[in-house]
Amino acid sequence: MQRQAYSKTAILTHWLLAVFIFFLFISSWWMLALPLPSEEYRYRELPFQLHKNLGITLVLMLFILLYSRWRHRPAEHTSPAMTLWMRRSAITTRVVLYLTIFACCLSGYLSSAYSGWTTTLWWAVDLPDWAYEDEELNMLFSDIHLWTCWMLLALVAVHISGAIYHAFLQDGLVRRMIRW
Amino acid sequence: MTEDMNTDAAHSENQAKANGSACLGIMAIVFGIFLAAMHGNEILTHFVYAPDTAAIHDLPVDCDDDELEEEGISLEECNLMGVAVKHVILSSPDWFREFYIGLSVVGVVLAALSICVGILLVDYRRWVVTPAVLTFGSLLLVDLIAFLALINTGPLLRAMYLWDVLLWALIHLSMTAAALVVRQSKYAQSDEPQD
Repeated sequence: MQRQAYSKTAILTHWLLAVFIFFLFISSWWMLALPLPSEEYRYRELPFQLHKNLGITLVLMLFILLYSRWRHRPAEHTSPAMTLWMRRSAITTRVVLYLTIFACCLSGYLSSAYSGWTTTLWWAVDLPDWAYEDEELNMLFSDIHLWTCWMLLALVAVHISGAIYHAFLQDGLVRRMIRW
Repeated sequence: MTEDMNTDAAHSENQAKANGSACLGIMAIVFGIFLAAMHGNEILTHFVYAPDTAAIHDLPVDCDDDELEEEGISLEECNLMGVAVKHVILSSPDWFREFYIGLSVVGVVLAALSICVGILLVDYRRWVVTPAVLTFGSLLLVDLIAFLALINTGPLLRAMYLWDVLLWALIHLSMTAAALVVRQSKYAQSDEPQD
């Protein structure tokens, strides 16, 4: 018989992604108000490295989540409260959400790559500097990063609204991402 | 007939209790995620705002025109960014930085616990009600300790933090009270004579 709930890996990565995404939003609003970097002012060093590392880790976790969901598909949820348009919009939101997370992280990485700053993965491995310093490309990817992140925030709000709606409805949909 | 009505009433009561537990669980998960992110950011903030760093010595901030354009800020804003850091450092007593980092670490752990407890509450595991009361109560205690610590700092820091901490304290107070009600109804249910 097909399992009703998502796999343990999918559940764990889903909730970790949620915490990571909110931390990245809150910390990015704060760190962009830190003084611009110079020899004396080094306040941005740690937060920016952490931001980039969490972004890279977030993409890896997203792939783990997608792989896990592909390998262990739960039984299709049937509920009288779930109309056709709700089902379609839920699937669309989820697909766009995953694509936006990826686009947001990728544009952030590319912006950093073209800025000339090195990314050290968890203070252990220097990622190769494959890109040359290019202010225009840095600005372009920085703008894409900004707008995809605002879009991500809107999609997350839609996703949470849907989840809360089904949780209060108690139709068993949310429990699939909760039941261990 | 009367027996059927009694069974229906008992079923609806159990359903209502399960609903109450689920609602509390949802609140615990959603707020737990926000809180973990917020406390995580507090740890980072106070780690970065180290005493005796550039901002405190009034060193000029490097505000190149290119950088200003890239960041989309004015020269005045750029200079004020250094002043904002100075405000926090100046407004923090010597003991505050380590204390608040420690308190935020406890906050992250409790927020993670709140997410786990919330998940189990939505699943209506009856044994989790007492751990839920303890977790939400501890979160409330962390907020109260933070509030007491903050009122002993400077006015700039109080203006920045007090309202947020008060709001979280009210949220955790409501959640603790709700968990106590769920716990009471659980015990009332187990005291009922079984036919």
